[in-house]
Amino acid sequence: MSYVDPITLLFASIFTSNILLSNFLGTCSFIAISKDIGSSNGLGIAVIVVLVLSSAISWPILHYVLIPFNMIYLDLFVYIIIVAAVVQALEMIIERVSPALYMSLGIYLPLIVANCAILGVVLFMEIRNYDFGQSIIFGAGSGIGWWIAIVAAAAMRKRIDKNPVPAGLQGPGITLITMGFMSMAFVGFSGILRVQ
Amino acid sequence: MKMNEDLKKAQAQMKSGVITVEGFLGYDDRDLATIIQHDEEEMARLNLDWEVVGQAMHYLLKKGSDGLGEPISVDKKWLVHVDETRGTLPSPWAGEGIFHKVNCEVRRLDKEGKPEGKILLFNELSLNMLEKHHFLEGRGSHFRLEPSDVKTVLGMWG
Amino acid sequence: MTTDLLILQTLLVGLVSVLMAVMISIIDGIVNNYGDVVVDVNGKKQMTVKGGTKLLGTLADQGIFLPSACGGRGSCGACKCQVESDVGPHLPTETPYLTDKEIKDNVRLACQVKVKADIKVHIPEELFNIRKMECVVEKIVELTYDIKEVLVRMPAGTELNYVSGQYGQFEVPKYGDIKEPTARAYSFSSNPQMKEHVEFLIRLVPGGAVTTYVHKFLKEGQKINVIAPVGDFNVKDTDASMICVAGGSGMAPMKSIFNDRIARGVINDRPIWYFFGARTTKDMFYLDWLWELDAKYSNFHFVPALSEPGPDEDWKGPVGLITTVLDEYLQTKIPLTEVKEGYLCGSPGMLDACMVVMKKNKMPEERIFFDKFA
Repeated sequence: MSYVDPITLLFASIFTSNILLSNFLGTCSFIAISKDIGSSNGLGIAVIVVLVLSSAISWPILHYVLIPFNMIYLDLFVYIIIVAAVVQALEMIIERVSPALYMSLGIYLPLIVANCAILGVVLFMEIRNYDFGQSIIFGAGSGIGWWIAIVAAAAMRKRIDKNPVPAGLQGPGITLITMGFMSMAFVGFSGILRVQ
Repeated sequence: MKMNEDLKKAQAQMKSGVITVEGFLGYDDRDLATIIQHDEEEMARLNLDWEVVGQAMHYLLKKGSDGLGEPISVDKKWLVHVDETRGTLPSPWAGEGIFHKVNCEVRRLDKEGKPEGKILLFNELSLNMLEKHHFLEGRGSHFRLEPSDVKTVLGMWG
Repeated sequence: MTTDLLILQTLLVGLVSVLMAVMISIIDGIVNNYGDVVVDVNGKKQMTVKGGTKLLGTLADQGIFLPSACGGRGSCGACKCQVESDVGPHLPTETPYLTDKEIKDNVRLACQVKVKADIKVHIPEELFNIRKMECVVEKIVELTYDIKEVLVRMPAGTELNYVSGQYGQFEVPKYGDIKEPTARAYSFSSNPQMKEHVEFLIRLVPGGAVTTYVHKFLKEGQKINVIAPVGDFNVKDTDASMICVAGGSGMAPMKSIFNDRIARGVINDRPIWYFFGARTTKDMFYLDWLWELDAKYSNFHFVPALSEPGPDEDWKGPVGLITTVLDEYLQTKIPLTEVKEGYLCGSPGMLDACMVVMKKNKMPEERIFFDKFA
C-alpha cells in the first residue's frame, strides 16, 4: 500500500471510506440506537474510544507478538479478546461516570464487542499494513465517521417519525432506506480521493 | 422464538433473584414466547377459554377471601385458602403495576366435603399475567399452572 | 501440527488474555473504588465505610438494620429512610412505593441508593435498638399441618429488650435454587421475660422462600440469624377491655402479650376477650392452654370459633366466621358500657373485616391497633 499522509487518511476514513456508509459495517447497533439522539451521541463516542484503544492495543500485539512468531492466523482470535476487554473496561468507566448513559445504552454497550465495524477496522489496519500512527488515525477517523453517521441518522429519524411511515417500514425499514440514501450521498465524496 | 423488546425485558425480570427469590421460570429452558405459545396451544386443545378461566379464578379468589386468612369452602365444590403476606410484587412487564402478595390455594371437595386431588396455586400477580399475557409461568415454578390441572380443579368440562 | 507449535499458540493467546485481564483489573480497581465515605445517621452516629454498596447493606454492615421484607430487591418498600444529601433523582424502582409527600421529603428506599460520597441519612429512632444475633434453633414443634413453633436460643450474654407485639427478621441460609440468605419478618410468640430464648410461629406460605425452608429443612441445633426487635404493635397501658382477634400465625403476638401479662401479674387487671377463628379443629392449636387461662382468670375469656366444623368433630363452641362471632359477642355478651380497645393480627383482609365489625359496634377507630403487613 502506498504511503498515505495522516490528514488524507483521517479525511478518508471519516468520509470517503466511511466504515458504516461505504463499508456497511456496524449497522445493527446503528439501526437500534439511532432512534434517540442522546444515546446515539453517547454510543458514537463510545465507538470512537473503543476503536482507538483497540487499534492501539492490537497493533503492537500484531507486530511484536503474532508476526515474529508467524502466527498471523491467530489474528481474529486475538483481536476479539482485545476488543472484548476494551469494551468491558469502557463499560465499567461509563457506569461510574454517567449512570444515565449506562442505563440508556443498556445491552448495546456490551454489544459493541459484536459490532463488526470494530473488528473490520482492526483487520483493515492489518491488511493495509498501516504503521502505528496510521492505525490510530484510521481507528479514530473510522470512529468519527461512524459517530457522524449515527448522529445524522438520529436527527433525520426524529423528523421522519413525525411523518406517516407505512406500518411495515416503521423502525428498521425506514432507517435502512435512509442509510441507503446517506451512503449514496457519501459516494459523492469518493471522487475526492480513494484509499481503498 | 423471536421476541420483541417488551417480552425480552419481561423475561429478564422473571429470572430468579430479580423480583422474587425463585423467579417465574422454574427450570424451564424455553424462552418466554415459546412457553406462552405452547400453553396457548394446550389450552386450546383442552377447550379452555382464557377469559372464562380468569373469571373463575377471580371468583374463587373473592369467595376465598371471606375465610379471612383461613380455608373456606366455596359453593360446596372447592376448598379455597386465601392468605396475604407482607410485601408487594411488581409485574415483570414494566408499568403493569404492583400486586400484593395474595396467595390462593384451590382444591376440589369430594361428596363428603373432604378436599381431594391436586392443589391449584396462584396469586394476584400470576392471575394478572394469565389474563393479560396468557403466561402460566415456567415448568418447575411454584406457581406454574398446568392447563390440565386448571381443567380438573376448576371442573371445566368443555 | 506439532505439539511445540500448539504450545506456542496457546501461550501467545494466553499472554494476550492475561494482559487484557490485568488491564481490566486495574481499571476496575480505579473505577469501582469510591474510597472511604462518611455516613452520618440522625446526626448522632458517624461511620466511615467503603463506598460503592447500597445504603441498606452499608448500614447493615455497621449494625443498623432497616426493616426489609424482600432482602434488598426493591419489591417491598419497607426500607424507607430520609436521605438529606444529594444522591441523584428517585429511581423508577423507588417511586411506586413512595407517596408524593415522601418523595418531596427526600425519602428513599435504602436498597436502591448507592453510597458514592459522604451521605447524611435520617432513620426512625427505634431502629437504633435493632441488633443481629446468631441464634441456635433449640426446638421445633408442629402445631398444625402448616404451622410450626420455632424456639431459638440467643447467643450467650445477649439481652434482647423487646415489647410483646414486636417482631424479628428470621434469616435462613441459601438452599436449593435460592442463591442467597433470605430474611422474613415474624412476630415473637415468646414473651420478654424469657431471657435466653425467642420463639416464632411460622406458617407455611406456598412458594415462600423462608417458610418452605423452615417447614422442610430447618433442624434443631442449626444456626439462624435473627435481626430484632422491630415493630410498633403493642398493648396500650390503659384500663380498657382488650378485644383481641387473631388466627393462624397471628396468634404469635397474642401468646407473647398474654404470657407477658401473666408474668407481670397483671393478666386479670382488665377484661381480655380473645377471638380465635379457624375452619376445623384440625386448624386449631394451643386450645388446652387457652382454655386453662379462661378457667383460671375471671377476666380472661377465650372464644374459639370454627367456620366449617365437620359433623364428626363434636364441636360445641360457636360456629361461623370469626367476624360474625365477634359481632355477636360485641352486641350481646360483652358489656356495652365497657371502654374497649381492639388488638388485631392477621392478613389485611381479616383486619379490614374486623375493623368494620368493631366500628359498627361503636369502638373508636383510634383505639383499634393492629400489626398490618401491607
